[in-house]
Amino acid sequence: MTEILTAKKLAIKVILCLMVLVIVMGLCTSVGTQNISLKKVFTGPGDVPGANIDYEIFVVRLRRVILAALVGAALASSGVVLQAILRNPLADPYILGISSGAGLGAIIAILSGISWTFWGGSAVTAFAFAGALATVWLVWFIGHFSGKSQVTNLLLAGVVVNAFFSAVIMFLTSIAKSEQLRWTVYWLMGSIGDKEPLVLWISGVCILAGIICLFVVCYSLNVLTLGDEQARGLGINPTKTRLAAFGFAAFITAIAVSLSGLIGFIGLIVPHGVRLVFGPDHRQLLPVSAIIGAAFLVAADTLARTIFGQEQLPVGVITAIAGGPFFLILLAKYSRKVGWLK
Amino acid sequence: MSSINVKKLSFSYRPKEILLKNISFDVMPGAFLSIVGPNGAGKTTLLNLLCGLLRPQAGSITIDAALIESYSTKKLAQKVAVVRQEFVPVFDFTVTEVISMARAPYLGTFGFESKDDMKIVSEALELTETIQYARRPLAQLSGGERQRVFIARALAANSPILLLDEPTNFLDLKHQVGIYDLLKVAQLEKGKTIVTVTHDINLAAQYCDETLLLGAGGDYQYGCPKDVFSFEQIERVFGVSTFAGDVGEEKFFIPLGKFAKDRGQIKSKLDKD
Amino acid sequence: MLIAFICLATFVVISHYHNRDRASELNLTESVNKPTRIVCLAPNLTEILFALGLGERIVAISSDSDYPSEAANKNKVGTFWSPNTEAIIASRPDLVITLWFEQQKTVAESLKRLGYQVLTLNIEKVEELFTAIEKIGIATGCKHDADKLVKNISKQLSDLQQELSSATKVKVLWVIQIEPLRVAGRDTFINELIELCGGENAIGHTIAKYPQIGAEELLACGVEAIIQSAMGAGNITAQQQAAEMFWNRWPSLPAVKDNRIYVVQPDTILRLGPRLPQGIQLIARYLHPEIFAQTPLVAQ
Repeated sequence: MTEILTAKKLAIKVILCLMVLVIVMGLCTSVGTQNISLKKVFTGPGDVPGANIDYEIFVVRLRRVILAALVGAALASSGVVLQAILRNPLADPYILGISSGAGLGAIIAILSGISWTFWGGSAVTAFAFAGALATVWLVWFIGHFSGKSQVTNLLLAGVVVNAFFSAVIMFLTSIAKSEQLRWTVYWLMGSIGDKEPLVLWISGVCILAGIICLFVVCYSLNVLTLGDEQARGLGINPTKTRLAAFGFAAFITAIAVSLSGLIGFIGLIVPHGVRLVFGPDHRQLLPVSAIIGAAFLVAADTLARTIFGQEQLPVGVITAIAGGPFFLILLAKYSRKVGWLK
Repeated sequence: MSSINVKKLSFSYRPKEILLKNISFDVMPGAFLSIVGPNGAGKTTLLNLLCGLLRPQAGSITIDAALIESYSTKKLAQKVAVVRQEFVPVFDFTVTEVISMARAPYLGTFGFESKDDMKIVSEALELTETIQYARRPLAQLSGGERQRVFIARALAANSPILLLDEPTNFLDLKHQVGIYDLLKVAQLEKGKTIVTVTHDINLAAQYCDETLLLGAGGDYQYGCPKDVFSFEQIERVFGVSTFAGDVGEEKFFIPLGKFAKDRGQIKSKLDKD
Repeated sequence: MLIAFICLATFVVISHYHNRDRASELNLTESVNKPTRIVCLAPNLTEILFALGLGERIVAISSDSDYPSEAANKNKVGTFWSPNTEAIIASRPDLVITLWFEQQKTVAESLKRLGYQVLTLNIEKVEELFTAIEKIGIATGCKHDADKLVKNISKQLSDLQQELSSATKVKVLWVIQIEPLRVAGRDTFINELIELCGGENAIGHTIAKYPQIGAEELLACGVEAIIQSAMGAGNITAQQQAAEMFWNRWPSLPAVKDNRIYVVQPDTILRLGPRLPQGIQLIARYLHPEIFAQTPLVAQ
């Protein structure tokens, strides 16, 4: 009669979803514009670079699939958490300034012509990351001036900062030369590229650690959705919970954005879809959304890199075109379950 | 069983307008207190002070001989459960899920409920007769049904003190009485200390051991309903004349408006008594 | 609603082609009065005018016209991307020469409406450069000099082609952006440049002019030389080092194995103007060092 989520039930669901993800990743790694034979791949890299091109292409594809999975997981998790903190189902990971902050950082890096690299990452990545985090800190700081309604103030601060930084971005792009303009626009559109293994490792560890930290906060997020006063009455400190959740979410989003630019739709749609099917309990919503987000972006990116042959579509286009109708179908099918949509 | 002691409590939202002035009273362990008064007198504010949401400008509140400020949020939640009216229907949690959030102060890091927790939740569902809605999203219920769910949640918190802000607002007669019966049982059988803010003087008189009558401007009266509720007091504090009557030990007050039928007759009857 | 959409689409398509034609047909009557106050809005146009000996007749240029050095003394009327119409008018020109793309086209249109003599040229291929020079010659009354210039440039180009005739084509990738990885496609001037220098674009035909490609395509295309456009004002040596470090990620690429990675300043090399042969020479040297080892490098 009184059934509720238990650790065991959750573990089973997560493992099933992980299996689906692994299958999706496997399928997508075997698909690409170049035909490679898996048999040749398994014979190993060969003694000289270039000896086994099939193997190298496979490795490059695998790296890309892994990056797509990490970015998708980060964006979806962040979306879940921000929708909970802001008590707003229309929130996405970029709503509190991360997008414009990262964009501004990237543009400053591009326009200043800095070309040093570190650990295989580029200046653009570093500046975008720093820009994202700095903006998030700024939004949090502004949003806490007045004590009354933290949530409304945060949202307003986010809107203001986004608007201001977007204006700065517009100004900078207007004074940029044509070459630099092209750079910034295409970076902002978002794409999954090839990153060095070290970069993948570091970001992978950081993103997974971030998602696990978010999982710990998930129960408090459930209670937080009742409202600040109610949450406090139930022993949850709303400010601390929001700070922790926002901090980790911003961190993993900043990593994702600095690696791949601004890929939209995932942070907004995946949490919704998962919520419609699995319910709003964040202890379940977070891990499942992370996994589904990963699978979704892997699939979208695979489409983006195979649909036109040699050239690639920006993956954000695929996520938007695919995500929209997909969500509408979900909505129609499950709206019976959800009372407040009537 | 827990006690609440309020000493010389003063509070104001704005510097010039003092809402509560130098209020002192003691709620005995296992007592049932009702706070009544006109709108704007500060009843909800007092409740918010009692659950630690607001800090007084002067005076102190102690729960079980420890100052309220000394409790951590979690420890305080284990001592005090609050039932409020507001409801933010953002996500569609089911009734069971909402009620089980009452167990939050007792759960471990990852927040998974144990079988014992779920047993307490089931009991609460049964007591408040909300078990038939167990799987429905909270947003689908009517105001009255939601009210009972919130009370179930307060019961599931298993705390020695229950604070309720106008708990019978949206309920029909049957459920109004039903809820107060429930609270009375909780008080008598489980020794809970209960404080309700209510507009219903009659129910307060029927069920409560103590009453705090808060007037505008900070004056107050504390004592048993028998002593506090009188025709004169009510007229003074609420600005409304009532027809006061009693049947044995039970007192009741019926407010009289301008258009009450036979007002003259009632008034003359009163003058005679 | 379908009809409205079809009408709109037809209108868009027609106006596109209409404008394309208008750019090429101009009122090219030999001016009775040779224009003495010329304003030109692009660096390559400035160079052409100076090469035709019309330097003194120029009254204003766009701010990014940096060659020859005499150009520094001229008045500036905005940038290549956003010309300043008011400043152009203030220079009281009797001939304004612009390029064909959107931002300059609108300026050209408004100047025409005000009655100014405007020459709009489309220079996106070598062929079009020659046509443009001829048109400028007619419009400024220097047809003779224009023809000479055209002959000069085309001779340099054909000499180059001669030297390259026996060389095997080198597979080239011209990278214009690193993050994300974008290269020049077949339908660009860069492609034409590559082919003039004895090279061949490593990627095939694509829909986009500057397509984004993935690491997979990179590994499969067998690129033998990578030319990368330098970014902005940054130090070229630093960029060269950074580029080599970047491309080392894929050591199996022939271009990486032979260390044939060249960072070049795109502004001057890709400028379709009188210095085109020098740009081509530079790139040809990179692609075929065996042929040009002995030839002295012409001063940029």
